[in-house]
Amino acid sequence: MKHFVEGVVGIVLAVVLHTVLGKVSAPLLIVFNVFSWVVLYFGLTRHEVFGAVMGTVCGLLQDSLSLGVFGVGGLTKTLLGFGAGYISRKINVTPVTRTFIFALIMAAIELFLWKSLVLFLFGERFSAAGGLIFLQPLFTALFVTVSFQVHRRTEAGRS
Amino acid sequence: MKEKKRFLLLLGLIFVHLLLISIQVPRGSEPTYFERVVFSVFTPVEHGVVSFFRGLKNFWRNYFYFRDVQRQNQSLRDEAFRLRQENLALKNLLLKFQGGKGIQDLLSTVSRSILVASVIGIDSGQIYRSIHLNKGSTDGVRKDMVVLDRKGRLVGRVIEPVSSRESRVQLVSDEDSGVGVLTERFRVVGILQGDAGGKCRLKYIVKTNREVMVDEEVLTSGLDGIYPSGIPVGRIVSITEDTELFKKIIVEPYFDLSDLDQVAVFTADLRDLS
Repeated sequence: MKHFVEGVVGIVLAVVLHTVLGKVSAPLLIVFNVFSWVVLYFGLTRHEVFGAVMGTVCGLLQDSLSLGVFGVGGLTKTLLGFGAGYISRKINVTPVTRTFIFALIMAAIELFLWKSLVLFLFGERFSAAGGLIFLQPLFTALFVTVSFQVHRRTEAGRS
Repeated sequence: MKEKKRFLLLLGLIFVHLLLISIQVPRGSEPTYFERVVFSVFTPVEHGVVSFFRGLKNFWRNYFYFRDVQRQNQSLRDEAFRLRQENLALKNLLLKFQGGKGIQDLLSTVSRSILVASVIGIDSGQIYRSIHLNKGSTDGVRKDMVVLDRKGRLVGRVIEPVSSRESRVQLVSDEDSGVGVLTERFRVVGILQGDAGGKCRLKYIVKTNREVMVDEEVLTSGLDGIYPSGIPVGRIVSITEDTELFKKIIVEPYFDLSDLDQVAVFTADLRDLS
């Protein structure tokens, strides 16, 4: 139940942050993919099953707020959530540098997968938005690293 | 949960997504029922967030921040006065040229059909594709209604899904959008399509055509059956040789995404009025 509530709060916060960023400046939405932040965070902290479910929900939510093909974001984010949870259980990603590199690689793979699907399967044009799109994995990794380390220290403090 | 079950769950989720994607193939661009439901559930969150921050801003401005208010007030009064005069002059001109009761009815229909809406969200996948408005079917918003910015320049058209209190607008800069346009000076007809990067391409202008020039304005032609003719869309910023047959013409749309706080939705079919 606790995990379910956390997940719902995470999703609502993502929508709120997405809306606020869009109102502040539209290009911020290219750099900050808040739905990926939530999926990676839950993948790392609650592992693959929860990560995959969060990926499905956040991805479909992102798709429904977009004009693109419904389901592509859901598919890539499901793989991201599952992959992040599964790999983080197999290898130690708790040190700060490792968390950052791991999150950066996962975010880059997700972006590549998503863009490849819409480019090659659905024939949409690629737009780097003046290079801003390439900053997306970097900021995702930064956010996930900070939030994961805060989560880890809070958990350690409790026990 | 055992590892095998975890992978089975992943496979199940992948299957659901592939199913969702494949359902859309025979339906074309029409959204699925599931997509409509998700849109209807989450756009009110966007609506609420924007209303909350707007309320905070209004509270601050109405009760604490009075700097420059008098100057702004005067400037708005001046502008309202100028626009009233301009409106009267244009009405008189129209009456002079077309005359009669018909034009009065037309003007009152135009005035009644303007629905002011606020932008509550921007496309989460590609910012130049669509926006979300805080007006929906209960406000009279329907598919294919024309949306203009505050200066009367084309923004796009309403597309599905339209929920009871929110709606989606396809921007002219979306690569799947197609607007019938013509150039201002020589009335060269073409089709305007988004390029996924915030600009548009004016298509099907043959290489031999020498009548299209940089810095020329592009207006709607009305030939697409959706947009009425004569609405300003953008300006030509570059012309290069593309394939063997056509020119590559880049048009910068007039509407500015960062300044798109309020828009006008035309609830009447403007083509019937022109």
